[in-house]
Amino acid sequence: MDYSLSEQQEMLKKSARDFLSSESPKSLVRQMATDEKGFPPQLYRKMADLGWLGLNFPEKYGGTGASFLDLAVLLEEIGRACLPGPFFTSTVLAGMTILKLGSDSQRHELLPQIASGQTVITLATTEPESGYNPDKLKTKASTEGTNYLITGTKIMAPYAHVANFLICTAKTTTGITLFLVDSNTPGIKLTPLKTIASDKQFEVVFNKVKVPKKNILGKEGKGQAQLQQVLLKAAVAKCAEMVGGAQQVLEMTVDYVKERKQFGVPVGSFQAVQHHCANMLTDIDTSRFLTYQAAWKISEGLPFAKDASMAKAWVSDAYKRVTKLGHQCIGGVSLIEDHDMPLFSKRAKAAELTLGDSDYHRELVAQGLSL
Amino acid sequence: MDFKLGDKEQTLVNSIAEFAREELPLNWIGTRLIDQECPDFEFEVFMSRRLAQKGWLVMSWPKEYGGQGASHLEQTVYEMEISYWGIPGAGMGISGTQWVGPILMMLGTEGQKRKYLPLIASGGRDGYWCTGYSEPSAGSDLASMQTRAVRQGDHYVINGQKVWTSSAHNARWCWLMTKTDANATKKHRGLTLFIVDMKSLGITVRPLPNYYGRHHFNEVFFDDVKVPAENLVGEENRGWYHLMQALAFERRSLGPMMAGSFRRLLENIIQHCKETQYEGKPLSENTIIRHRLAEMAIDVEVLKMFAFQFTWRLTQGAVPVYEASRNKVTSDEIMRRFATSAADILGAYSQADPDSTLAKIKGRIQGAYLGFPGNMIAAGTSEVEKSIIAQFKLGLPKSY
Repeated sequence: MDYSLSEQQEMLKKSARDFLSSESPKSLVRQMATDEKGFPPQLYRKMADLGWLGLNFPEKYGGTGASFLDLAVLLEEIGRACLPGPFFTSTVLAGMTILKLGSDSQRHELLPQIASGQTVITLATTEPESGYNPDKLKTKASTEGTNYLITGTKIMAPYAHVANFLICTAKTTTGITLFLVDSNTPGIKLTPLKTIASDKQFEVVFNKVKVPKKNILGKEGKGQAQLQQVLLKAAVAKCAEMVGGAQQVLEMTVDYVKERKQFGVPVGSFQAVQHHCANMLTDIDTSRFLTYQAAWKISEGLPFAKDASMAKAWVSDAYKRVTKLGHQCIGGVSLIEDHDMPLFSKRAKAAELTLGDSDYHRELVAQGLSL
Repeated sequence: MDFKLGDKEQTLVNSIAEFAREELPLNWIGTRLIDQECPDFEFEVFMSRRLAQKGWLVMSWPKEYGGQGASHLEQTVYEMEISYWGIPGAGMGISGTQWVGPILMMLGTEGQKRKYLPLIASGGRDGYWCTGYSEPSAGSDLASMQTRAVRQGDHYVINGQKVWTSSAHNARWCWLMTKTDANATKKHRGLTLFIVDMKSLGITVRPLPNYYGRHHFNEVFFDDVKVPAENLVGEENRGWYHLMQALAFERRSLGPMMAGSFRRLLENIIQHCKETQYEGKPLSENTIIRHRLAEMAIDVEVLKMFAFQFTWRLTQGAVPVYEASRNKVTSDEIMRRFATSAADILGAYSQADPDSTLAKIKGRIQGAYLGFPGNMIAAGTSEVEKSIIAQFKLGLPKSY
């Protein structure tokens, strides 16, 4: 049994923290909230140079060949930095989807492009009425010669405005199928969604969008089950990001309550405040252990579904609790627009809703208990 | 990182399962969740001996004191599995195995080690302990205790009163904290720890039935009790610091015990939900119940991971101060959540006395429900533990 990071992981963590604190300060994060693109392209290129954009891809696909656990370590730092940009959707979501479902030629073509930052790919799978359950989706793909025509509406597609390809789910005659859609295809309409974390999510309307048959990802009609496993892994990756954010909130809060004086003493000397901080710490430890156990199982090739859902169910709630207590301890100043605290509390809400909220995952845990 | 058990630990898990199936009576109701209390003291002592014969009772102690030099990880697994199966007798009262033995090995004189350690290790009745810390006016502010020990020649004379003394009515020895220096500059610096024979003249044990009618607590009165000076543990007036160590041992063992107990209880309640019909279908198909069970399963997982992380820190040579408090407060919170959810699931039956024929799941859930308020107070209240976390881990100023 070993609860520590390897030497290499510690190095990755340290270099990521150093890089992100100089390249992605909170002032930049705030600035990017109103930027049309939402991230500095030169920063994304630097991440490619560091090997991050293909961190968990095998080397033959232009990746670094790191483990899922390594990816979790990096994501914890990314969460801490509130790093803006399409890293999560392109490298983690799309990258893992292509790695899992793509044909060899699709992998060879697309993964090196993701890793180099030359291509951004996003997932457009959520629909207004589908919730997290792809059973209920309405987008349809009908055949027309050697092509499919996709029609339907997707919401909450991250960074769709900079994506070269969209991975979209649609119903075909045999079931749910995954398509790789070139975003320049006529019939695609993007509308930016005004979300609280300013995280560049889009509505994507497909109107008879023509997609060649060869652009199917995985098996026709089997998309849902295949995607499900990828999304569970991605949920663990998201948890790692959330753990990093929560850790930063705690540190920021503790630093503040040591300095801030009321009644002539630091507010951190009051038990009510101390107990809030202790609760935050306990919630973060819990979140971290659940997340890393799931990530470790993924890395080891062990069954991980129940662990993944346990982590996402818990961390989704815990990150929100931590940010609420952070606001409470820091007080009024934490509600100001240029304070760092709201960056985290908004992201906690957004992250909760990404890849399944806690209710969704509790149901999966129940199924994992053979209920 | 690596979260799996080794072959040695897995073998231990299997051996304890086999032992439990062979040794426990049919329909054994198990220990109560609160303080691993066993309703049948004679059977508890019998099982202590059986555990000793198996070499498990003090497995983590060195061989010279009757142990096997087992690792921290094996000890943790042992505590989890013993609790999972509800095997009584592992504590040797409150508590010979968990802190009296380990502290004596650290601080005891040769004479004390030779006398008391074999008594505990053999699992006999004379190896049962109670622990005398709290007093009517000294709870969380334990150092303000008033029980006095005064040196007179080759012995000390003890006068005062202890309260909430679990198992004092079954114990042969008391692990007793007293005040020896009333003029100490700080009250923490005038305390001394003693071993007191419960058969001594002047000791009165008075039952203090708890709010659900069980005899677990006692008041213990000391009237001119003579204790040989050789029974002083560690250094005179350094008792507080020895007690901090003992409490760390106590808080450590709570994690694995809770993890094991609640893993079992979760299995029990899942089974109950599958077998119980409600409004025409099994409870296990009800969405609300499914979510409660999922939350409980996550909590059980958390208890396990906290216990193992703590153990792992020990193997790294760390003194896990904040982790002890974190595990304690988390165990308490989880017991509260778990017991409340489980009682909700039982519905009308959750008001049944644990021993009544009406009780479901052998009264275990009612045991947890009635027991959790006590757990949130014993061995450091949740509030005290959170203050420790804030001060020792987060570096916030002392608040009391």
